[in-house]
Amino acid sequence: MKILVQRLDYAYDGFRLDIDSLGFAGGRVTSIVGPNGAGKSTFLKCAASVLPLDRGCLFVDERDLAALGGRERARLIGYVPQEPAFSFNYEVRDYVVMGRAAFLSVFSSPSPHDVRMAEEALHYVGLEGCSRRPFLELSSGERRLVLIARALAQEPEILLLDEPTSFLDPRHEVRIMRLCRRLAGEMGKTLIVTLHSLEMAAKYSDAIVFMKAGRVVAFGPPGEILTEGLLRDVYDLEMRIVDCAGQKFFVK
Amino acid sequence: MSRRRGSTLLLLAALLLLLCQEPAGLRAREIPRLAVRDSLGRRVEVPATVRRVISLEPEITRIIVALGGGDKLVSVDFFLRHFDHLFSVVFPQGRDLPVVSNQAQDLNFELALRLRPDVLFSSPSEFQSAERIERKLRIPVAALASTGRFENLLQEIGTVGRLIGRENRARELAEFFRAKISDIELRIGRVPAAARPRVYLAFWGSLLRTPVAYDPVDAAGAVNCAAGLLPSYLGTAGTTVRLEDIIRWDPDMILIQGNYLPEERAVTAAGILSDARLASLRAVRGRRVHYTFGFWYWWDPALVLVETLYLARLLHPDRFPRFDLRQEGDAVFREFYGLDGAFTKLWRLLDCDDWLPK
Amino acid sequence: MMIGSPSRKTGWLAAAAFVLPVVLLLVSLNIGSYHIPLKSVWTTVVGALSSGRAGAGSPEADILFRIRLPRLLLALFAGAALAVSGASLQALFKNPLVFEFSLGISYGAAFGAALSLVFLGRGFPPQLAAFAFAVLAVVLVLLIAGKSASQIVTILLAGIIVSALFQAFLSFVEFFANPYALQSLIFWLMGSLAQAVWKDLALTLPLIALGVIVLVLLRWRMNVLSLGDEEARTLGVNVKWEKILVIAVATLTTAAATSVTGVINWMGLIVPHLVRMMVGADNRKVIPLSAAFGASLLLVADDIARSAAPFEIPIGILTSAVGVPFFIVLLKKSGRVWQ
Repeated sequence: MKILVQRLDYAYDGFRLDIDSLGFAGGRVTSIVGPNGAGKSTFLKCAASVLPLDRGCLFVDERDLAALGGRERARLIGYVPQEPAFSFNYEVRDYVVMGRAAFLSVFSSPSPHDVRMAEEALHYVGLEGCSRRPFLELSSGERRLVLIARALAQEPEILLLDEPTSFLDPRHEVRIMRLCRRLAGEMGKTLIVTLHSLEMAAKYSDAIVFMKAGRVVAFGPPGEILTEGLLRDVYDLEMRIVDCAGQKFFVK
Repeated sequence: MSRRRGSTLLLLAALLLLLCQEPAGLRAREIPRLAVRDSLGRRVEVPATVRRVISLEPEITRIIVALGGGDKLVSVDFFLRHFDHLFSVVFPQGRDLPVVSNQAQDLNFELALRLRPDVLFSSPSEFQSAERIERKLRIPVAALASTGRFENLLQEIGTVGRLIGRENRARELAEFFRAKISDIELRIGRVPAAARPRVYLAFWGSLLRTPVAYDPVDAAGAVNCAAGLLPSYLGTAGTTVRLEDIIRWDPDMILIQGNYLPEERAVTAAGILSDARLASLRAVRGRRVHYTFGFWYWWDPALVLVETLYLARLLHPDRFPRFDLRQEGDAVFREFYGLDGAFTKLWRLLDCDDWLPK
Repeated sequence: MMIGSPSRKTGWLAAAAFVLPVVLLLVSLNIGSYHIPLKSVWTTVVGALSSGRAGAGSPEADILFRIRLPRLLLALFAGAALAVSGASLQALFKNPLVFEFSLGISYGAAFGAALSLVFLGRGFPPQLAAFAFAVLAVVLVLLIAGKSASQIVTILLAGIIVSALFQAFLSFVEFFANPYALQSLIFWLMGSLAQAVWKDLALTLPLIALGVIVLVLLRWRMNVLSLGDEEARTLGVNVKWEKILVIAVATLTTAAATSVTGVINWMGLIVPHLVRMMVGADNRKVIPLSAAFGASLLLVADDIARSAAPFEIPIGILTSAVGVPFFIVLLKKSGRVWQ
């Protein structure tokens, strides 16, 4: 699924998001990086319709996203927030089953098929043993994976992940990024991930978008666009890119 | 400088203290006083000559008027002005008096003070209100109510008579009252308690609210089904029963408080007769559902006497063959209030013509 | 964690929950100040069922079918209504302290019904005015809470303000009602099932049934809504309309009950919490079980109200006597269900 951002213009209290002609290839992992307040999460929320999206701004395979109804959109795009806003202490499986809301009418409850899809999603992220445990008893990393599983239960073509690796230990960081690669590679999903860690972005993305102050500064495959000059412009900080054991490291 | 200011302050303070004292003259003079006991057992001391009276109890107000002391009234209470149909008939001058209480029968203290009463009559069911009023106004307060008993009513007449200097008249009225009741008892004869008809009283606009004591029923030779129950509000005569209790008692007759204008009646005889839940009661099957005057926790002494006569006739028609409610009522009211046709006016208002079976 | 498979334990609990009201109904038919021996109850009921008519005017039949049965049914339905509404509102607002009182619904409905009874008389069904003012109360609460409606403290404060407002209006109506109407109004405002007659129930019971059924159907959707507006929206839920739907149905159900019984507080708080302590927070279980337990609990409370003393105890006093200490304990403890 190809995503094309035509002309995204979103403003609120003292901040303005201004993105023009940005394209995301299908079946690829694209990272969005940039300093705090660059508008990464805001852009993602606009794409997920958490924030209001105008018509003519964002197209998925030539379909205007804003013209789609809520359920149709939810079957197309899955959004994974950084942290859940609130939760009752649901069982993990019940939590993931909520992802099936787009397939159910207002008055329906999940069918065995829906439960099966939830279990499959849990299996894919590697949490099949946790299915009956209370959500709030899981570790941070496991909770993130549950959120991803819930988004997967929506059977979306596109996944938007907001800072999925922040505050996690290195093992879980890697686990999640590898999961992202699998989702793009094995399942052909289009992933957009906002990241703080440049190392992760460089290692796991097919393309990186650099944002600063609400605008896109640079966009392209990591091998091509990662220069020290670009980093200085974006982060206002002198950085050095070091190659070691085939990976890029960024030294401040 | 500061010493002069200090002494000025002292002088001002002394002046203020002096002003707050009672005028020495009044305290020194000996005022003849009268002591009575009210319904709460409190000892109330009033000046021997009472000229100005505030009464918050409609019953006492009416007794005062009947005793000829209406000119001593300086106010009326809210209920008498707005909800009582009888008072404007027996005491038309009452229209000019200020209203000194509100909906809840709470006293307007400032107005009461301005009216400078010598004594105030309040209700004993308002917890500690008599004490409170006495403390605030520094005038004697007597709490009086009959709560459904003739003896209490007669005692009240005596007490009020003493308090306003109309003892002879009070004795007259009490004797008249007693004579009439004795007459009824004579006519009914000695009916053993087991043979007396059992009556349920539906008062206060509700089928389930009934007085635990109501002497007119006893004096008329019947038994109140709810007699002996605990009042739901201590100091009053009323309690709330359950519908099943009424069915269990299966009274011989049901009496509804009829002292409302017909259009204001929440409980009606027609309503009870057509209520499917009560269909098994013998009073309903025999159509022995009637109105009576009833009370709002206070009586009119003349009206309650008339009511007793009426109930006696209703319950024992054979003993009162030539009973004319209107005539009897007018006679009693003439004795109490010195007015002709006073009862007829009320009789017309309440449609009493339909009350007795023809 | 619980021993044994949770679903089997829940299964037993659910069965017990739905059998209990029926059992209590049969037991309560025998409670009342007019003593009817068990055999007579049996013969009267069987006689009525076989002949198709409710008895031939015998006192037993009148008492069972015209006095006790409507009252018991009202207790069951009203209990279910209040418990389910409370549970739904708690799920929606994600807070244990939210129930029909905190949103001003109870007193709004009571005011509407009182207004209707005083000015339109007993002939006009009070449920309409009750619903109208209950909705007004909720709208006022949301307006007062304004932008910070997501903050639970704001909602609760707004709810208390609106409740106080309607209580003041009610006092106003009382003040100007003539003393004849006043007595019954006061008793009714303390909550009472004593006035249950079939005529009043003809509209109320179906309304409550409808409301409870709809809320039960919406129970899984409440789970999704409880994730928060943002996340629910990403899952494809039309958050605004579905929230309005839940609030409206909860309001209707509460108003329908309150318009006949008066204000019975705390049911919407006590029952859902007890249920959550037993089965967890999944609304698929909480909503229907709240309805069942709410029905049973109010029926038991009413049995006490009409038989513990020689006079009627207003049922609102009983539920408050249990509800207030419960509320205090709840404020202090944080259950493992809530975070």
